[in-house]
Amino acid sequence: MRLYRKEGNTVHILSFPTENAEKGDYLLIEDPKQNKALITQIIDVQFANVPGILEELLRDSTNGSCEHLKGQDFDPLEVASHVTYIQDSRLLVCKIRASLDNGKLSPTSAWLPSRSQSIIKQLPTTSLLNLIKINHGLPIQLGETKEQAPLNIDATALDGKLNIVTGKKETGKSHLSKLLVLSLLGHGAPVVVLDLNGEYAHLAFGADGKNNEFNNRVHVLTPGENFRVTFAQMKLRVILNVLVHALNLPGTSAREFRRIWQFLDERAALTLHELGEAIRNWRCNQHVRDALFSRYYALVNSGFFTDNPSEAVSLEDCFQKIRSGGALVVNLRETSLVDRQIVVEYVLGKLLDLLTQQKLKAVFLFAEEAHLYLRETYWDDIVTRMRHFGVFTTFVTNQPDTIRENIYRQADNVFLFNFTNEHDLEAVSRAAKVDVETVKSLARDLPAHHCLLLGTAVKDFPIVAKVKALNVQTMGQTRLFFTEKN
Amino acid sequence: MIQQTQYTPTPSKYNFPQTLQDTALPTRFIELSLRSIKNIANQDATLLYQPYETITENAEPAEEITPIFQGQTKLKLNTIPLKPSLMETPITAVDVSSIRIGETTTGILLAIRAAIVWKNQRHHGYRYLRIGPFPFHITEENKAEIYQLFRQYSLDTLTPNTTSTPNLLHMQTRITTLLERWLQMNIATHSQNSLILWDGSLTAGTSDSPTHIIAQLLETARNRFNTVLAFSKITRLRLSGHRLTDLIQKGKPPCLLEMDGYPVAPTNTIHFLGNIYVAKLTHGNCSFRLDIDRKLPREQAVEAIQRLIANDQVSESYPETLRLAHIYSTFTANEVIAIQRLLAQTHHLKTITRPNIRRLLFGPFGKGPEGG
Repeated sequence: MRLYRKEGNTVHILSFPTENAEKGDYLLIEDPKQNKALITQIIDVQFANVPGILEELLRDSTNGSCEHLKGQDFDPLEVASHVTYIQDSRLLVCKIRASLDNGKLSPTSAWLPSRSQSIIKQLPTTSLLNLIKINHGLPIQLGETKEQAPLNIDATALDGKLNIVTGKKETGKSHLSKLLVLSLLGHGAPVVVLDLNGEYAHLAFGADGKNNEFNNRVHVLTPGENFRVTFAQMKLRVILNVLVHALNLPGTSAREFRRIWQFLDERAALTLHELGEAIRNWRCNQHVRDALFSRYYALVNSGFFTDNPSEAVSLEDCFQKIRSGGALVVNLRETSLVDRQIVVEYVLGKLLDLLTQQKLKAVFLFAEEAHLYLRETYWDDIVTRMRHFGVFTTFVTNQPDTIRENIYRQADNVFLFNFTNEHDLEAVSRAAKVDVETVKSLARDLPAHHCLLLGTAVKDFPIVAKVKALNVQTMGQTRLFFTEKN
Repeated sequence: MIQQTQYTPTPSKYNFPQTLQDTALPTRFIELSLRSIKNIANQDATLLYQPYETITENAEPAEEITPIFQGQTKLKLNTIPLKPSLMETPITAVDVSSIRIGETTTGILLAIRAAIVWKNQRHHGYRYLRIGPFPFHITEENKAEIYQLFRQYSLDTLTPNTTSTPNLLHMQTRITTLLERWLQMNIATHSQNSLILWDGSLTAGTSDSPTHIIAQLLETARNRFNTVLAFSKITRLRLSGHRLTDLIQKGKPPCLLEMDGYPVAPTNTIHFLGNIYVAKLTHGNCSFRLDIDRKLPREQAVEAIQRLIANDQVSESYPETLRLAHIYSTFTANEVIAIQRLLAQTHHLKTITRPNIRRLLFGPFGKGPEGG
C-alpha cells in the first residue's frame, strides 16, 4: 500500500490486488522518521483511476467470450499480467480517526506523513481496541470483529447517555437492543422497555422455550391485562398530561377537569365511577361537559383504569423489583394508538416522579419506534430534562427520519445497521459523532446482523461488529401467511 | 545479477499465423529485447526518465510523400462504381505500434507490438494474433546491432548491409517500419488468394522501405494470388488545389476515384509502386487514399476492392480488419505503466519524471508538450 493523497481528513491510499483491505478496516500509516502514525479507517474502496483503462476494457471486452472476435497473445515477457495487476489496483478512501505521537493517542492530525517513507499496514480491531483503551469493567459482549475476536463495550458507556439503534427492517436492530437490555440487567441496571410489538415479552425464555437465567428479572406488563391502575395512584399532573396530550383535551375543559379532580381528591373519591358522576353533575358549560365525557369514556374504554385496588398494579412496586437489575417490559402490542399514548404518559410520568423522589437511582429506557406513542414535546424532554433525572434512553427505529435532528446531534452512541435508502442515510448522517461520508459509505454495505458502532462506547472510532446470537425467544419475527407446514 | 525472464511461446489455436510463430524472429526478438534491457541494469544509475508526451509510432511515415500526377488533365476524374463481389476471400491486416517508454542516461527505452487480424468465412468472425509488447533499450552502443537484426529479418538477408544505422531519435520509427515489413512479407508468403491490408501507402525508396524490397513483397503476394491494398488514413492528395478526398464526396458509395495521370515523386529515389485511388466505400464523411499494386490489371484491382466490401465489414469507408489490427497493436497508458513496472520488478529500474524546463522557466506560460 502506498500513500497517495491527503485532503482535509481524507487520505487516499493506493492498494494492490495482493493486499486485502475492505471497507471499515483500520490502517496505520507509520512515518518512522517522525515517529508518528495516523490511524485511518477505510470508508470506500474504489478502482484506481489508471489512464487507458477504458480503452483496454473496450478492446478486451470480446476476448474469449465472443465468437465474433477471438485471438491470442504472444506475450513472452508477460506484460499482460502487469497490466491486469494495474487494472485491479484500488484506491482506498480513508478517514483519519486519530494520530499516534510516540505511541500516545491524540485526536488531532495536524501533521502530514511522508508519502515515500510511510509504511502502511492493517490495524486489527483488537489492536485498535487495546490502543484506545476501552474500559472493560462492565463488559457487554456485542459480538465479534471482522477478525472474529470478541468485541466488548463497557456498560458505563451507556450510562447517562442517549443511544440510537437504527437500521432498515430485518437487519438485527431489535436483536441488538435485546442484547443490550439483557446485558444491562445482567450488570444490575434497571431497564424499562416500551415494547411496541411484544418482542421483549419472552426475554425470560430461552430459544428452547424453557426459563432462562433472566426469568426472575424480566417483568412483562400488558395494559388492560396485568397492568391496570386506579385513579388514586395517579397524580393530577399525570392525568392532565394524558388528557391534554394523548386525548387532546382543550384548555378550558382541562381547567374544569382540574377542579373536578381536586374536588374528588379532597373527598378521597378518585374512582372512575365518581369521576363520571362528577362530570355529569358538575356545573359547567355543556360543551365542556361533552368534551370531558368523551375523554372520560376513552379512559374507561382503554381498560387501563380500574376502581378495584386489588386489580391495580403499583408501578412503584414494579420498579422496586428491577431496582438492582431487571427489566420492566411494557407490552404495547395489542394496544390502540390512543391507549398506547395513555399508558406511555402514565409510565413516564410515574417514572419521573420516582426519580425525582430519589426512589429510583436511574433507569435505562428502551423505546421501540417511539414516534408511534411519544408526544412531540417528550422528545426534547427525554434528551435534556429527563436525562438529568436519570432516564437514559435508547431509541430503536427503522425509520430514522422519525427521530428529530437534535436527537441525532445529542446522541452519544449510535448502533447503525444497514440502510440503502439515500434519504434514510441522510437522516442518520446528522449524528454528530461521525462524518457524513463514513455513515453513508459504511452503512450501505453492512451485511445483516452487522452493526456500525459510533460514539462514546467505541471512543468515537467507528467499528463494524457482527452482533452475537442470543439464546432467547425473539418473538420479533413477522407472522407469515405462507408458512411452511411441518 | 539479472534473471532471465522465462517465457513460453503461446500455442496456436488458430490456423493462419502459425507460420509466424514457427519462424525464428520472435525468439530472436525476445533475446534481443532482454539483452538490450539487461544493459540498463549494468549501468550505475538505473533511472528511467518518463517523457512528458507519449511518442507513438504507427509504422506509417509521419510525412506523406505526395505524388504529382503528370499528364493530369484538369477536372478529368474517373469515378468507378463498385459492386460487392460475393466471391469468398480471406482478408488479413497487419499493424505495428511502438511507444517511447522513457529515456535512460544512455539511450531510449521503447516498446513495440504488432497485431495481425484476419477474417475468413470459415471462422464466422475475426481472429487476431498479438505479438509483444517487446521493450527495447536502444543506446549508441547497441543500436547498430538492433537495427541490423530488424533489417536482416524484415528486408530479408538479400539486402546487403550498406545502409548506415539511423540516429537514435529515428530508431523508433525505423524499427517499427521494419517489423511491419517483416510481418507483411510473412503474410504475403503464407497466404493465398487473399486480400492483404496495409496501413499506409505503397510508396518505396526510403531507407527502411527500399524499392526493390517493396517490389519483391508485392511480387510475392501476386505470385500467390494475393492482392495488397494499402489504406492511408491521412492524405494530402490534391487536384487543382482541391483535396481529392473532398472531391469524391459527390460520388455515390461504394466507389473509387481514379486519377488521370501518372504519379511522380518529388525526388528520383522515391517510387510509387501502387496505383493511387481515393476510396469511398460507405456513406459517411470519410474517404481514404488507397494504393493498389500497379502491376495488377486494373480490372483485378477493382475486383479486389469489390471482394473487400463483400467479405469485410466496412464502416466509414475503412475495413474492420485493418481497424482491429490498429486497435490491437496500439498501446494504452496503462500498458506503458505495466512495462515500467515489469522493468522495475525484473531490472530494478526506477521511473522518474524529469523536471519540466518549460514550466521551470516560464511558469504558467510554459505550454510544453504536456499542455497547459
